[in-house]
Amino acid sequence: MGNQNSTLTEAEARHLLRRTGFGATQRDVDKIIGKNETRGQAADRLLGYKPSKFRPRNKDIEISHNKWVKFMVRTKTPLQEKLVLFWHDHFATSNDVVGDPKQMADQNRLFRLNGKGDFRVMMNAVNRDAAMMDFLDTVRNSKKEPNENYPRELQELFTLGVFDLDGQPNYAQEDIVQIARAFSGWRTDAKNVAYLNENKHDQGTGDPGDPFPERGPKVIYAGNLAFGSGGFDFGAAAGTNYAAEIDEVMNAIFAHQDSAGRNTLAHWIGYRLITFFADPDPPNSYIEAMVSQSQFDTSFIVADLLREIFISDEFYAPLTDPTKLSVKWPVDYVVTTLRLLGMKLKSRYQYVNGGSFNNIRDELGNMGQILFEPPSVFGWDWEGSWVSSATLLARYGFARDAIAARGRGRTTFRPERLFDFAESPAVDPDVVVDAVAALLGVGDSFGPGSAERTALVDYLTDSMGGTVDFSDFDTRDMKLRGMVGLVLQSPAYALH
Amino acid sequence: MTLTRRQFLRRTSMATAGGLVAPSLFGDPFLKRAVAQTIGDRYFVSLLLSGGNDGLGTIIPYDNGGGSLRTDYESVRRTDSGGIQLDAGPGSGTVEGLDQAMPVNAFSDPNTGAQLSFHPGLQAFRDLYDVGDLAVIQACGYPEPNLSHAVSTSVWETADPLGTLAGSKGWAGRHLEAEYLPAEIPAVTIDSSVAGEFQQSGTSVLAIERLSRFGFPYDGDYPGDDGAKQAAFGALYAEAASNDLGAAQFVGNAGVATALAAQSYPQLHSDYQAERAAFDGMYDDKQLGGGTSTSRDLREIAKIIYGTAKGVANVDARFFQLHNGGYDNHSNQGGGDPTGRHYRLHREVSAALEIFFDDLADMAQGQSDGRQNLPDKVCVLIWSEFSRRIIQNDNGTDHGTQGPMFLIGGGVNGGVIGNHPNLDAVVLDDNGGNTPYSQTGAFRSTDFRDVYGTVLKHWLNVPQLTVESILPADTIPDPANYWTVRDFDLPLFL
Repeated sequence: MGNQNSTLTEAEARHLLRRTGFGATQRDVDKIIGKNETRGQAADRLLGYKPSKFRPRNKDIEISHNKWVKFMVRTKTPLQEKLVLFWHDHFATSNDVVGDPKQMADQNRLFRLNGKGDFRVMMNAVNRDAAMMDFLDTVRNSKKEPNENYPRELQELFTLGVFDLDGQPNYAQEDIVQIARAFSGWRTDAKNVAYLNENKHDQGTGDPGDPFPERGPKVIYAGNLAFGSGGFDFGAAAGTNYAAEIDEVMNAIFAHQDSAGRNTLAHWIGYRLITFFADPDPPNSYIEAMVSQSQFDTSFIVADLLREIFISDEFYAPLTDPTKLSVKWPVDYVVTTLRLLGMKLKSRYQYVNGGSFNNIRDELGNMGQILFEPPSVFGWDWEGSWVSSATLLARYGFARDAIAARGRGRTTFRPERLFDFAESPAVDPDVVVDAVAALLGVGDSFGPGSAERTALVDYLTDSMGGTVDFSDFDTRDMKLRGMVGLVLQSPAYALH
Repeated sequence: MTLTRRQFLRRTSMATAGGLVAPSLFGDPFLKRAVAQTIGDRYFVSLLLSGGNDGLGTIIPYDNGGGSLRTDYESVRRTDSGGIQLDAGPGSGTVEGLDQAMPVNAFSDPNTGAQLSFHPGLQAFRDLYDVGDLAVIQACGYPEPNLSHAVSTSVWETADPLGTLAGSKGWAGRHLEAEYLPAEIPAVTIDSSVAGEFQQSGTSVLAIERLSRFGFPYDGDYPGDDGAKQAAFGALYAEAASNDLGAAQFVGNAGVATALAAQSYPQLHSDYQAERAAFDGMYDDKQLGGGTSTSRDLREIAKIIYGTAKGVANVDARFFQLHNGGYDNHSNQGGGDPTGRHYRLHREVSAALEIFFDDLADMAQGQSDGRQNLPDKVCVLIWSEFSRRIIQNDNGTDHGTQGPMFLIGGGVNGGVIGNHPNLDAVVLDDNGGNTPYSQTGAFRSTDFRDVYGTVLKHWLNVPQLTVESILPADTIPDPANYWTVRDFDLPLFL
């Protein structure tokens, strides 16, 4: 297993920065190498950020979207934003339904403030989050008209998962029905603060006056290892303090055990975080080890779990096992590119200055990822699902827009600012390949003798071999922009 | 069935106003018969109504027939505020002033004899049904139904409810990878990602949102360098594709196919715009019900079919998938109110298909190449990952199980097969719905895999034994609830 005291190699440092942030600049890599940081030290430093109160707030969702992208391009704590992205996908809420950019911004800050903290605190906040309550119909759930939308996704996606690590079901339809009663009557006030309207709450007294005696006691998880055959009666536990019913439900969810007696929630969240940061298809043993070693199943502190993942050998496996590589998310692709090329986006609509002049939200939309508008409550499909002819062309198009951004200022891409080949009549093409690949953090994929290197050398020399004449501005500009574009469009850069 | 010509008058007059006389396929019985002899001349379109379409708000019980279908319907779909019941019309004895289902061309439920009708938003469906080009397959579902959108969508895409097949290949994908080579492009999804039913790794499936944007993006300042870039790009991706390295190989193959198609597909867009300007505009025409994502997605399919049928080089796609979202109406569903969400969704799909088939019919006019009889060569299958709960909530419905599928096209044998779901309160479960834990087979009339199998066998000419291997039977020997007896000969095609 992982060794927190092992010193990071340059390749490991680059991998750690790529997976936990947006690309790895040589400066950031050098910082780790210069200090001889161990895996544990680097993980502690990356996780040691103080959560920002930033929220991308605007009445126009497009501007909110691009504010967040801009924040990601500039942030000094990229792991914080990676986690906000993760939770935005995990608790996928779409402004398409909510239609309130301010609520979306508040939710975004909620993820930022709680991203690495106590997951119990996160869940309590999500249960009462205005955007979520609207998106999954909590505000339309009443004793007369129960609505199962939130209770279903709460268990299926947010906390337990449909099946456990052994493929056994974690809950039943009856649990959804009963939990819907706990959430009935929850509404938001004018300031988007959640409160319980007891008149609309299914009090479920069982008294002669109870209008719904057929619904029975508020019992969930009957037969679960944590609760025995009688299950857990959250109605009895909360008594007449009806607002506490959802807290009692959450207590049950956090105590829920799977078919093998593991804490169900800890392993589901562990599975989700591992697939995001470390291994798209992790074996059970890896998930179990991360959860037990971090004690996430008792502490529920996300940072503890992440630290365990970041020091594990499995986290660094993609460096030697290409089957463990992961497809970069579109937003990762875009933000990484802008950070590595040192580019800013232009105007409040945040477009890249060359080529299509699409604003960054449209570019990302073409790649299949508009922030604040995940396709459904399931969030985005990852890995191979990011890759299609349409989304690849969108990525190629963004790369072209970036390298063709000409002119003055920080919104442009100027090769001469990054490479020093001016006026050189006889440049070794291998030197150019090394420089470009290093800038974009993919040196390992264009090593000496590789077919990938040959392709780029042929491009530089127009398949004539020998050296390239960079004394002429146009040739230099054309080939340097062209080669940066090719590497941005390459399979190696699409993965990490 | 009766073939009358009472529909599409609006369309014909519009077309005339635009200087185009477009005889509708559906009005002309002589155009209907010439079904293509081989798979090579046909097309298949899969249309997903994503989110779970409410079947009971799609096919409406119109009277009781020999049972109590209408009465039961009125007990589960309310008429008060937030009610989503549709009236059976004047003189029916129900509440006055409700939105009416369409009484004309109502059809009989084979089980109860009750008259059924289409939701009023489905004008074109009724027209198509009227001329025998639309088949309604009632109450389609599968054993152990799952109420999760993702899980149930995956079940329909893989045609593997019990998870017995390894991997997650789509049902149509299993056919594609057996029939086509890696470099061929037999299928296109109109989306940013490949549809689940086409998933496999043996041949190339494109995902295209708009053909006009499908060209390869070069730096416009140095056009002379495009060739060198293309060569380098090709070498990088060929190298990735040649390695057996998981994600890298996947990205490599996708890039190779993309670069290939980027050279031929954008031209289809220009050709279509230039040669079919009148129909091009109809897909955007809000008065016709166009101007929607469904109509525009279908226009992209029309462009590719046009190119394939004309024999454009490097274009030979015959399988397509598109989807329309927004059916997950836990609230704000609306009954027959034209401003309601469900009405607008029905109208969007119905109108878009009408434009699409009229376009195909016009393409075929006077042609003797692959375009000849084009509408008879295109079959559209409409499905949703599940239907919705029988009993409504407040102006909406929660997730349910089985619902209707539709098959549309000139080669389709129009009509209705399968029984309408039983709405009798005594067979509904405690929760007022046909939920998974009721586990009764009473609700499922047709297993959706029989529909797929019939499409494979009778539309794509796949031999019975091959269809059986693509769609293996459930291994649980419980014929009442599971799919152990397969029927790939449903009377869905002429």
